[in-house]
Amino acid sequence: MSELSATHFLLLSAALFIIGMVGVLTRRNVLVIFMCIELMLNAVNVSLIGFAWELHQLTGQVFALFVIAIAAAEAVVGLGIVMALTRRADTVDIDELRQLRE
Amino acid sequence: MDWQRLLVSYFVGFVLLNVLLGLMAYMTWFERRVLARMQHRVGPNRTGPFGLLQPIADGIKLLAKEDIVPANADRLVFLVAPLLSFALAPLGAAVIPFGETLHLFGLEIPLLVADINVAVLYVLALGSIGVYGIILGGYASGNRYSLLGALRSTAQVISYELVLGLSLVGVFILAGSLSLQDILREQQRALVIGPLTLPNWYILSQPLAFALFLIAAVAETNRAPFDLPEAETELVAGYFTEYSGFRFSFYFLAEYINMIVVSLLAATLFLGGIDGPFVDGVWWLALKALFFLFFYVWLRATLPRFRYDQLMGLAWKVLLPLALLNIGLTGLVRLWGIGAL
Amino acid sequence: MSLQVLIFSLLACVSILGALGVVIARNPVHSAIGLVLSFLNVAAIYLIARAEFLAVVQVIVYAGAVIVLVVFVTMLVHPDDLPEFHGRRPLRVATGLVLGVALLLEVAAAILTRSLYGAPGPWTDQTIAAVGGNTRALGQTLYSDYMLAIQLTALLLLAATIGAIVLARPEAVSERVAAARRTLTISLAHPRGLDQPELPPALPLPPDGQVKPAGGGRPIVLARSASEFTEQPAWGEWRTP
Repeated sequence: MSELSATHFLLLSAALFIIGMVGVLTRRNVLVIFMCIELMLNAVNVSLIGFAWELHQLTGQVFALFVIAIAAAEAVVGLGIVMALTRRADTVDIDELRQLRE
Repeated sequence: MDWQRLLVSYFVGFVLLNVLLGLMAYMTWFERRVLARMQHRVGPNRTGPFGLLQPIADGIKLLAKEDIVPANADRLVFLVAPLLSFALAPLGAAVIPFGETLHLFGLEIPLLVADINVAVLYVLALGSIGVYGIILGGYASGNRYSLLGALRSTAQVISYELVLGLSLVGVFILAGSLSLQDILREQQRALVIGPLTLPNWYILSQPLAFALFLIAAVAETNRAPFDLPEAETELVAGYFTEYSGFRFSFYFLAEYINMIVVSLLAATLFLGGIDGPFVDGVWWLALKALFFLFFYVWLRATLPRFRYDQLMGLAWKVLLPLALLNIGLTGLVRLWGIGAL
Repeated sequence: MSLQVLIFSLLACVSILGALGVVIARNPVHSAIGLVLSFLNVAAIYLIARAEFLAVVQVIVYAGAVIVLVVFVTMLVHPDDLPEFHGRRPLRVATGLVLGVALLLEVAAAILTRSLYGAPGPWTDQTIAAVGGNTRALGQTLYSDYMLAIQLTALLLLAATIGAIVLARPEAVSERVAAARRTLTISLAHPRGLDQPELPPALPLPPDGQVKPAGGGRPIVLARSASEFTEQPAWGEWRTP
C-alpha cells in the first residue's frame, strides 16, 4: 500500500457508495435522498477513474463523462418531480407520499 | 518534484494577489469618479489629492464597524459564506498570462502562476463555485429579502454561465486548445487579408462570440443592468442585506475582483492579451482590461435594470440560440476552410 | 508512504467526511454543503489520476449546476417544515446501518484480496502528451469510438429538458395559457410588461376647466455657487435680497 494504486480509489469509491446507500435507506427527505443518489453515482466515477489511471486507458474517463451527463439528466427530471410533488402534496417527506401504494 | 519552479510560481502568485487587491481598492475609486463625471457630479475629492485616499478611508471605516449576526441566522454558514466568495474571486487570475518568460539571475520566471491545459474551463468552474457564496449568504441570513436575492442570483448565474461557456466554444474551435497560452499564441500571428495586415485577434473572427461573452460576463458578475440579486429598490440589498462591517466588504470586494478578472480574461481571449503594436507586454493587457472596466462603469451609468422575466428571457430565448448559431457557423467554417483563418 | 498516497488520503478523508455530513445533517442545505465539499475533494483526486478535464467537468456540472439546483429547490419548498432525519423510525435507521457496514466489509475484503489485473492500455503519460494533453486525447477517443453513445447522450439530455419543462408547467389551464403568452413574447424594452392588465381609463378633468397652474407659483432659484444655494431655506420664507 506504499504506492498509490487503483486499490485506494476502489476503497474510497466503496466508502462513498455505501455512505450514499445508507443515506437512501435511512433519510425521509426526498431532497436528501436525491443528494445521496448523486453521491453514489459519483462513487462509481471514482472507481472508473481509478481503473483508467492504473491501466493507462481512457475508456474509464469516457464512461465517467457519460455518467456525469446522465446524472445531470437525472437531476433535472428528479427536481422537476420534486417541484411537482410539493405543488400537489405540499411535502417532501417520502413517508407521506404513498398514494401509489394505497 | 521541481521545488524551484514551485517556489517561483508561489512568488508570482503572491505578487499577483497583492496587485489585484490594490487594483480592486482603486477600482472603487475609479468607478465613483467616472460615474460622478457621467452624472455631472464631482465624486469623492476631499480625501487626499483627487480623492485618492478614499479607498483607504473606506477600508478603515468598514473594518472598524460592528460585525452583526442576526438572531435567526444560520450562524456558521452566515459567517463563512462571505469568506468563500472573497477567497474564490482572485483565483481566476492565476491562469492569465502576463507576459513572456523572464530570465532573471539565471532563473526562468514565467509570468503566469499556473499553465494548466484546461485554463478557461477552470475559470468557468471557479465562477460556478463562487455562486455558493451568494446562495449560502442569502439563505443563512434568515431574511426573506436575502433569500429572494439569493434565488434570483442562482437562476441568473446558472443561465448566464451557460451562455458564457457556449460563447467561448467558437474560440476553442479556432484555437484548438483550452489553454490560455495556446489561445494567446494563436492570436499573436498576423492575419493578412489582401493589402491589410491585422492582428489575428478573435474579436475579428468571432465578433458574435465577443458580444455574447461581454453580455454574459456582466450578468455573471451581477453588475448593472443585470444587478437583480442586489436590486436596491426592490430587495433592500439582496443577498447581503443582513451583512455589515468587514463581511459586507468581502462581498463588495469580491464583486470588484471578479470584474477585474473577467476584464483580464476578456482581454486575453478576444483582444490578444499582451499582444499589441510596438512592444508586446503587460501594459497592453492593462490598457485593454481598463477599457473593459470603463465599459462596466459606463453601462451602470447608462442602462436601467432589467425586469426579472426579461432577464431570463434574454438569456434563454436570445443569447443561447445565438451562441449555438455561432458554434455551428464556426464549426462549418473550420470544416470547409473558408477564408482559411 | 509516498507523498502521493498522503495527499490522496487527506483528500479522501475530507471527501468521506463531507459524504457523512450529507447523511447526518438535519438541514438539507447543510447536506448540500457537505456534498459540495465531497465533490470538490473528489475532483482534486481526479487531478491526481491525471484526468484534468473530468475534474473540471465534475466541478462545473456537479458542484456548479446539479447541487446549485438542489439548493434552489430546497429554498423553494417550505424551508420550515422539512422532515427531520431522527425520529420515529429507529428500526429503519438500524437496518440501514447494519446493511451498510456489512456491505462495506464485504466490498473492502473483495478489494484488498483482488488479484484480477487487466492488460495496460496505450495511453501512458507520454502518449497523452504527444497527442496534446488529456482534453485532446479524451476528445479524440470520444468522437471516434463513442460517436453513437455521445449522440444518444445528447438525445437523453434533450428528453430530460423537455420532461423537466412538462413537469414544471402550471397545472391550471388558465395559468398555462398565460405562461404560454409570456413565453411567446420576447420582451426586451416595452415600458410596461405585456403580461400586465391594461391601463385604467384616465381620470375625468375638473368640471369648470380649472387646472392648477404648473409650478404652483413658487419662484425658481438660480444659484451662482453651491454655498449660495444651500443658504436658501428649503421650505418656508424665501429670502429677498
